[in-house]
Amino acid sequence: MPYNIAMVSDFFFPQPGGIESHIYQLSTKLIDRGHKVIIITHAYKGRTGVRYLTNGLKVYHVPFLVIYRESTMPTVFSFFPIFRNIVIREQIQIVHGHASLSSFCHEAILHARTMGLRTVFTDHSLFGFADAGSILTNKLLKFTLSDVDHVICVSHTCKENTVLRASLDPLMVSVIPNAVVAENFRPLEQGEPARSIAPNDIITIVVISRLFYNKGTDLLIATIPRILSSHPNVRFIIAGSGPKAIDLEQMLERNVLQDKVEMLGPVRHEEVRDVMVRGHIYLHPSLTEAFGTVLVEAASCGLYVVCTRVGGIPEVLPQHMTTFAKPEEDDLVIATSKAIAALRSNKVRTDRFHDQVKMMYSWTDVAQRTERVYKGIQGDISPEEFYGYYPGQGWEASGDRVRSFALIDRLKRYYGCGVWAGKLFCLCVVIDVLIYVFLEMWFPRVNIDIARSWPKKLKQKELADTSRNGPHRIESAS
Amino acid sequence: MPSLSDSPPSVPPPVPVETHPNRAVGIKPPRQQRTLPDPTRLAPEDAYYSPTLVRTRTGPASYDETIRGLNGSTGTAASVAALRPPHAVPVRKLRGTSRRRRRKGAWKKLLWVKQSYPDNYTDTETFLDHLQRNPRVRPYDFWPLVADSTVIVQHVCSVAIFVCCFVGIVQGRVNPVSIVCWGSVGTAMGWILWDSWVFREHGENRVAERAPEGDDGSSSSSTASSVMNPSTTRLNDQKDSQVHGLGLTMSHGETEPGQRSSNPDRRSSNSGLGDSCLQDAASFGSMNGAPSGSALPLPLYAAPMISRLSSRNRQRLSTVKSAFLIYCALLGLSPILKSLTKSTASDSIWAMSCWLLITNIFSFDYGSGKGAGATKFPASLSTNAAVMASTVLASRLPSTTHVFSLMLFSIEVFGLFPIFRRQLRSISWTGHVCLTLALVIAAGGAVGFTLRGGLTAAVVGSMLGSILTALAMGGCSWWLISLQKYKNVVTGPWDPARPIIRRHWD
Repeated sequence: MPYNIAMVSDFFFPQPGGIESHIYQLSTKLIDRGHKVIIITHAYKGRTGVRYLTNGLKVYHVPFLVIYRESTMPTVFSFFPIFRNIVIREQIQIVHGHASLSSFCHEAILHARTMGLRTVFTDHSLFGFADAGSILTNKLLKFTLSDVDHVICVSHTCKENTVLRASLDPLMVSVIPNAVVAENFRPLEQGEPARSIAPNDIITIVVISRLFYNKGTDLLIATIPRILSSHPNVRFIIAGSGPKAIDLEQMLERNVLQDKVEMLGPVRHEEVRDVMVRGHIYLHPSLTEAFGTVLVEAASCGLYVVCTRVGGIPEVLPQHMTTFAKPEEDDLVIATSKAIAALRSNKVRTDRFHDQVKMMYSWTDVAQRTERVYKGIQGDISPEEFYGYYPGQGWEASGDRVRSFALIDRLKRYYGCGVWAGKLFCLCVVIDVLIYVFLEMWFPRVNIDIARSWPKKLKQKELADTSRNGPHRIESAS
Repeated sequence: MPSLSDSPPSVPPPVPVETHPNRAVGIKPPRQQRTLPDPTRLAPEDAYYSPTLVRTRTGPASYDETIRGLNGSTGTAASVAALRPPHAVPVRKLRGTSRRRRRKGAWKKLLWVKQSYPDNYTDTETFLDHLQRNPRVRPYDFWPLVADSTVIVQHVCSVAIFVCCFVGIVQGRVNPVSIVCWGSVGTAMGWILWDSWVFREHGENRVAERAPEGDDGSSSSSTASSVMNPSTTRLNDQKDSQVHGLGLTMSHGETEPGQRSSNPDRRSSNSGLGDSCLQDAASFGSMNGAPSGSALPLPLYAAPMISRLSSRNRQRLSTVKSAFLIYCALLGLSPILKSLTKSTASDSIWAMSCWLLITNIFSFDYGSGKGAGATKFPASLSTNAAVMASTVLASRLPSTTHVFSLMLFSIEVFGLFPIFRRQLRSISWTGHVCLTLALVIAAGGAVGFTLRGGLTAAVVGSMLGSILTALAMGGCSWWLISLQKYKNVVTGPWDPARPIIRRHWD
């Protein structure tokens, strides 16, 4: 059955980025599957009010105070009135929050639970446990996630991290990876057999990343001169900007490598493919990465991938597309040399990469798997089936995974969050419930208009399903 | 489950050395069935039970304890079940895994394969596999900890002495000129001692340097200097240009004192009078190789025919010269400093100087100079805070002589004394302990004298001070050790990796 879903996050277009495109792609694919999806985000400069995107995707840009890097001010309750209004207006059943640094998403999950809605949270990033910022974020995450219905993580490493950070039941956390729109990342000549590389041909190594410390730019700076000195017929193309760009340029000047390394500066996401197809190898020296969408994009463009074995990266691509290295200078040089040698010996069938990646990752698949999560929390799949049923192994699917909306049960869950934090969280929840009661009295539901849904192409979809040709057409159209 | 408790752990649990970045490529080799969970790793259920500390080094004793904890938790599950989900994971881990595995085809920790398992499937074999708990924990011992705390005691005592001196000057009990005279005499003696140490060290350095001359230049000289003068290696770590500098040491080894040439010829323009007082304090330090973060203000004469002795003399001469410069600058600045914050209310002055001195104590570089970059703050922060505090305090003094004395004294106490203390500590431990004792007694006496006045008060104060300090040192050390059981550092593949980079292209 179709659901009414609200995606809530601080991060959405017009700001570019991985989370933003994830939300957009997932939403459009869910709409294709017959659901109604709206997106709630804060107002960006020149973007306030309601907007419709392709496919009837409705975006609410709520005016809100932005404090840091497009995250809104965490004011626990002030988002509630307008959120309630939107939810009632759009008849939302499931609230799906994204990104753990987005306070919008956390508040929405809290209020949605108070209003008796099912909630899902998607975590896109990895956090440590050591520094003060992480500790604070983790405590907040624990607050929100102690009463969430289900959590989605983008990789298994991310799942382990989230389970530890928020003390979750591992079975309540699903792993659904990101995907790429393979059509946007085609190699240059498709379908033809791969051009073989002669021993003295130029091999181009592409690096596309923001030039930050945690993206491993220091490693890159250390390895480039060594690779270039041992392989004369290698060129680099580096795209991206950031605080480490100066160090990179200094290295180029010191070693006089300007003619072998091309610095493109920042590139738009649409242009990434055009940069990628100019190279043979994609080098990714990142120090931490939850998923690494850019690796999939590079492989989809037919590039051989050299990357560090950190975070969720080892799970992303199969062995024959990648060479892994430790996050060490020497090992990265060795791995790159190996990759160059493998390409020179024409052992790697990079021409097949695109079709293989297309089989591995698609947003349609992601939407399907997310839909299963929605079904599970809405009770359309039985808890036994959703959480697994292992007879005779000491536990049955219990009632606690299906989170009840009774206030006392919610308070019990929040109370377990910590000695002081638990009481504080309980206080917040009680106030939230009181605000809800107040809002119901002063702004009764009956006075809120119901928004008309975007006219669905349901007929076509049904037709398409019967004629068996249709799904492809609809997917390629969207 | 019953077979668990009576099967004794034959081998002590291995400390997991395997980290995520090094883990074997691709699919893990099928391990033998893990009947007992490794206690050094977290099981999924630890996420919602308050973790008991398992030191990585403890043997079978804590191991049994963990098992008991596991058994107990499954036994009393009913009470917890109201809040937490049942413990599917540990039970399956112990019994059912291999059976299920054979039936269904192994689950792989990969995202690109389509698997027949649901998305929320949790594989007990690999889940939280690479998690490590307290991987680098180093248990503290009581006496070394107490010994290390003497450094802090020394600094706090010198701050206390300074404050007491100021109170004495303000209240007119102590003559400022006598304070500054005693301070200057002490500084001069300290400098002579320090100079002789450095001189001796140079001799040893040169001997050590000459021996491995055939070796690779940078490594040998850096090891030599790390033996003799630990602070140069620290500089080494901080500035990548140091390798180059040490190479220079090798080539000019005959003519140059190693430490001076280890600072590349980055002469800072020594302009500005207010700057120069700090500059000199710093130069005192950087000749020593102390991490004052400042460049050497002395010119680097690289004339090869000048003998070593005369170069030392020249160094001394220039130190005296800069000391004289500071003296004159302070003399000139004193009237200005006196009226600088005169219009500020006394309350604000007291509050401000308090905060500044607290900043000084907390941001002071207590490290020995060994090891790479120990402090987060620049060492200049604490010195600047202290000098600022004395500047602010100076406006409450009646005459220019008072101001001059206080400023000079503060430079001696906060700028030069720490360098001497650090050097003394690295040279002789007995001297260090003696100095600590003297400082504690002096500070106690000064506080007693300031509060009550009179010799008896001073004696009582120094006795009380020593006892209290000893108690505080012991108590804090014991407290820190007892707090160690709450240490629970969790590391895993989600932590940002530390890149290992060889700086070779400089």
